[in-house]
Amino acid sequence: MTDQHEDPKFEQWLKDAAKAYHVPHPTPRDEMWNRIAAARRNKHVIELRPWMRWVVAAAAVLILGIGIGRWTAHQPAGTGTTTVAAVTDSASPSESDLLYQIAATQYLSHTEAFLTSFRADIGSHRAANSVRFARQARDLLSTTRLMLDSPAGKDQRLRSLLEDLELVLVQISQSQGSSHDRDLITQGMNQSNVLPKLRSAIPAGPVPVRTEGAL
Amino acid sequence: MDESQLIARVRAGDSAAERALYDAHVDRVYRLAFRLAGDDALAQDFTQETFIRAFDRLGSFRGDAAFSTWLHTITTTVVLNGLRKVKRFRQREVDIDDAHDIGVAQRHAEPDLKARLKLAIDDLPEGYRTVFLMHDVEGYTHEEIGAALGVETGTSKAQLSRARAKLRVALSDFAGEWVQ
Repeated sequence: MTDQHEDPKFEQWLKDAAKAYHVPHPTPRDEMWNRIAAARRNKHVIELRPWMRWVVAAAAVLILGIGIGRWTAHQPAGTGTTTVAAVTDSASPSESDLLYQIAATQYLSHTEAFLTSFRADIGSHRAANSVRFARQARDLLSTTRLMLDSPAGKDQRLRSLLEDLELVLVQISQSQGSSHDRDLITQGMNQSNVLPKLRSAIPAGPVPVRTEGAL
Repeated sequence: MDESQLIARVRAGDSAAERALYDAHVDRVYRLAFRLAGDDALAQDFTQETFIRAFDRLGSFRGDAAFSTWLHTITTTVVLNGLRKVKRFRQREVDIDDAHDIGVAQRHAEPDLKARLKLAIDDLPEGYRTVFLMHDVEGYTHEEIGAALGVETGTSKAQLSRARAKLRVALSDFAGEWVQ
């Protein structure tokens, strides 16, 4: 199918003019390769086999139901995170491991979206955005610390990732929004390779597990 | 060594072959990611994610199509999903904060052609914009675009045609630039 109003002059002009749109920088080959290699060394933080993803998805729905049931029965004050923690306390060890993995997956998805958005916003220098990012970082920091303190968090590689995230989130939460602050945060994120590690830690899976509640 | 031999060596765990395969394709992947994202940090993130996924899933590459076609399918999936995620995240925050600073307030007052063209391309529907950038800016064929996006070649052609038509309308103030 072609447009009935094709105009070769316009098309040629457009092609030439559009070359100036988002002109790519020289490819940072080595820098990216080092991060890819590091992320691949650290992958499988949370490894879910394909059949397990469906189990986890079903469990996520079940937990949501239990959480809502408990909340409506007892009316406790708190957030979704505390609901998951409360369920975890009463579960058997293997159940609590699974519940922890679900909570971790949702938390990691949310944090990945946050850090990706933060990185994309770095050049904007908008004060309102800095305040917003600082507030969100503080919220995520609370969850990070809950997860680090949980007895179910036995996986050393996940702990290490959570500790890296904690450091980055502290920096963002305390940032005044200056370019110096942002440079330091970016440098820290690059050095700890935190985003690729984070992405490798999030299992590809059904939507309820990966992103629902995170975005 | 041809590419199928290189891929076989990567599958066998040869890290030098992994690097060689990466070197052979990284420029095109990064360029496409940058054109679509418009941001170096995001383009690097998306490129890294593309290669991490590609190496992890290389076992599922059957060789029916060229490796570059398979890789660009992963690239467009990673980039478009990543950009949607960033957009949703920002939109949610705008909704919460009722902020006014993310927008296109200067659109109608912008006199500069380059800036107007940028806004017009940014404003294209995602499918049109992707096809336009891949074809007219990065030089992909409709067959490559169709394979990467999982659409028919005819769909790619139609979307390009509509993208150009929209851009022509959006840039009509500057018609003198091409009617000479």
